[in-house]
Amino acid sequence: MVEHRDIHINVPVLTRVEGEGALELDIVGGEIERINLRIFEPPRLFEKFVEGYERNQVIDMVARICGICPVAYQMSAVQAFERLSGFTPDPWVKAMRRVMYCGEWIQSHALHVHLLAAPDFLGFESAIAMAADYPDAVRRGLQLQTLGNDLIALFGGRSVHPVGVRVGGFYRAPDRSAVEAMLKRLEAALPEAEALIGWTAGLSFPDDDQSFISVALSDPDQYAIGQGRLISGQGLDIDICYFDSHFQEIQAPHSTALHSELDGRPYLTGPLARLNLNFSQLPLKVRGLMEGCGINFPSHNMFHSIVARALELYFAIAEAIRLLEHYEVPSQSYEEVEPVEGNAFGCTEAPRGILWHRYDVDQAGIVRYARIVPPTSQNQGRIEEDIALSLQKLGLDQDDDTLRLRAEQVIRNYDPCISCATHFLKLKVNRR
Amino acid sequence: MIRIIGVGSPFGGDQAGWLAIDHLQSCQFAGCELIKLDRPGSGLLSYLQDVDQVVVIDALISSGQAGGVKRLEREELAQCQELTSSHGFGVADALALADQLGELPPRISLLGIHTGEDQNGVPVLDKVSLERQIQTLLEDTGD
Repeated sequence: MVEHRDIHINVPVLTRVEGEGALELDIVGGEIERINLRIFEPPRLFEKFVEGYERNQVIDMVARICGICPVAYQMSAVQAFERLSGFTPDPWVKAMRRVMYCGEWIQSHALHVHLLAAPDFLGFESAIAMAADYPDAVRRGLQLQTLGNDLIALFGGRSVHPVGVRVGGFYRAPDRSAVEAMLKRLEAALPEAEALIGWTAGLSFPDDDQSFISVALSDPDQYAIGQGRLISGQGLDIDICYFDSHFQEIQAPHSTALHSELDGRPYLTGPLARLNLNFSQLPLKVRGLMEGCGINFPSHNMFHSIVARALELYFAIAEAIRLLEHYEVPSQSYEEVEPVEGNAFGCTEAPRGILWHRYDVDQAGIVRYARIVPPTSQNQGRIEEDIALSLQKLGLDQDDDTLRLRAEQVIRNYDPCISCATHFLKLKVNRR
Repeated sequence: MIRIIGVGSPFGGDQAGWLAIDHLQSCQFAGCELIKLDRPGSGLLSYLQDVDQVVVIDALISSGQAGGVKRLEREELAQCQELTSSHGFGVADALALADQLGELPPRISLLGIHTGEDQNGVPVLDKVSLERQIQTLLEDTGD
């Protein structure tokens, strides 16, 4: 008879994730009894803060939910208000918002690939420790992150909590010389981003294919970033206003973030889900970069997320170049958009996945009610499911440190943004 | 030349580094480049290059006299923070990373301002203490 240890693993503070969370794992009689991804960062109550404020004030307020993905919050909000008013931004505004969003993908993906995820694959405690052996890789990450931040600042005045987006367009358009200088930097970074794809694809990945539902936005005209219909690999195809009819938010006792399910099941949102559903919409040149890498999309190995981020980072740089190549300063950077009373819905692809907003707006354009569903809370259920499957495959007889490291790596594959999700990591494994 | 960098953000006690730069702009210290940075995270590294000496000024949560300016040793800074999140990638982490990459300037100094507010909720700064600390750093370089 095989003797099973009862195991209790507790990671009191998860590192290399955005924000504060913990993991608690109980293994009893060789079976996982409980996995709790605990988000303990206190609720931040943003949905209440914004009540009583006018649309453009809300766009600046929601940017403060996150220092890493403020653009996503602004873009989901502005989309909601403009949709409600039946307003379609002009082609210049649409293109420049996509460029600004590319800036956020570049900086967030560069940060996660180099400073948060890569140390796991290369066996380092932190990016600072990794920098001793991989200085050039860390430098590349920092340079790409700075590039993304500066691209955000080009339109938003600053990269942390930018202030450039408003209903109807942008407060101001960047001048041509600033755009030309940025274009040169983007073009210079493209070979670095291409090298990054090969570098990530060359890492060692556990063989860990799992069955899961991918959810992303789909835009018939392009690889979806700032707009689209909600689709899944299982046939979901809905307008974003029907989110509530299919997605349920559930309170979990161990977490200050709401869990989210699609028709009763956990699902994945984020770079891997996007590539699983929309890879064919990437430009031919970008798709071609995956040839010979040994990794194909769609992929159901969550460890391939680091490659997905690298590929999206390259795409974001190439897309920004494409959209800025023939930049002209417009005669006006925004149009006045009259408020309309009603329920406003917005949904965009934050670096970590779909970010859904609902605002109830009155006749004067004042927000009376808000609901914000960030990607990390949506991924929570999938993360817990993934940890269980990954640890079972690894073998629950492994020592605590091995189990803890694998569990942490699984969590980091999702690049969880706990600060955004609080309404999260320290591992606590209990073996009995 | 000395590059003096105030790290902070627009609100609350975190303004301290920026308030220090605002004050130093009126002092006209020769040979100083004054820069305000908004929560630069790892972006701080790019401001440590092409200069002999950098002074970083940041808000300090401590039991010290509100507004007071304290010169910190790198080791003290490491005790203040722990890299747990890129949201929390602070000055100590950026300097540790720069050190690991061999990208620290020849001289790096850190000034912490004990955060605190006056009766009207306005952050306070001991301007005399700040000027004295900067003067000492300038004299140390022989400038």
